Amino acid sequence: MAYDGRGKGAFVKHRICRFCADPSLAIDYKDPKTLAAFTTERGKIIPRRISGNCAKHQRILAIAIKRARNIALLPFTTAKVKIKEY
Amino acid sequence: MRRYEMVYIINPNLDTESLNEVIAKFTDIIAKLKGSVLKVHEWGKRKLAYEVKKFDKGYYVMCDFCGGPNTVNELERNLKLDDRVLKYITVKIDEDVDPEQLMREEQKQETVAEESNDQAIEET
Repeated sequence: MAYDGRGKGAFVKHRICRFCADPSLAIDYKDPKTLAAFTTERGKIIPRRISGNCAKHQRILAIAIKRARNIALLPFTTAKVKIKEY
Repeated sequence: MRRYEMVYIINPNLDTESLNEVIAKFTDIIAKLKGSVLKVHEWGKRKLAYEVKKFDKGYYVMCDFCGGPNTVNELERNLKLDDRVLKYITVKIDEDVDPEQLMREEQKQETVAEESNDQAIEET
């Protein structure tokens, strides 16, 4: 597994675009469970360099996430996040 | 004609009767505007990801329909006016479709599903 190099390995980098590897995996704004896997716990969209998605699928995914936010299936942001104690 | 998909959230505190009334109202509006409704799918009560008009739950309804740009304009105006609708989104799926053909395909799928169900019952 590739290591991000920053932080404490919170994200594991995926080398292959999961949507290219498995064509049956559809990106749909009505399916918040799949989309949530590509957002941080704060609700931000995970960048391509970390999720490993190809440009084409990242583009489609970003639109789907924004649509899902629009109809309250995904949060824009989460105010209450468990903050790690150091 | 274009194919659209619309998802809207209704006030969850309404009783079943008024819920059905709201759904029927918007289905009628599409029909009146020369659109054709392919499918209405009720997702039911769901938790919202964030508060909308002080509600933390909502009743989701998805509607698949064909129509022109005018259909959508008028429909969205009506959705905006109705207090019982908390939020809505309309997404264009396809351009230049034949609603009758889609209808037939939809019916075909249903009959196939029913037949396979019948077979499964016979086998058991």
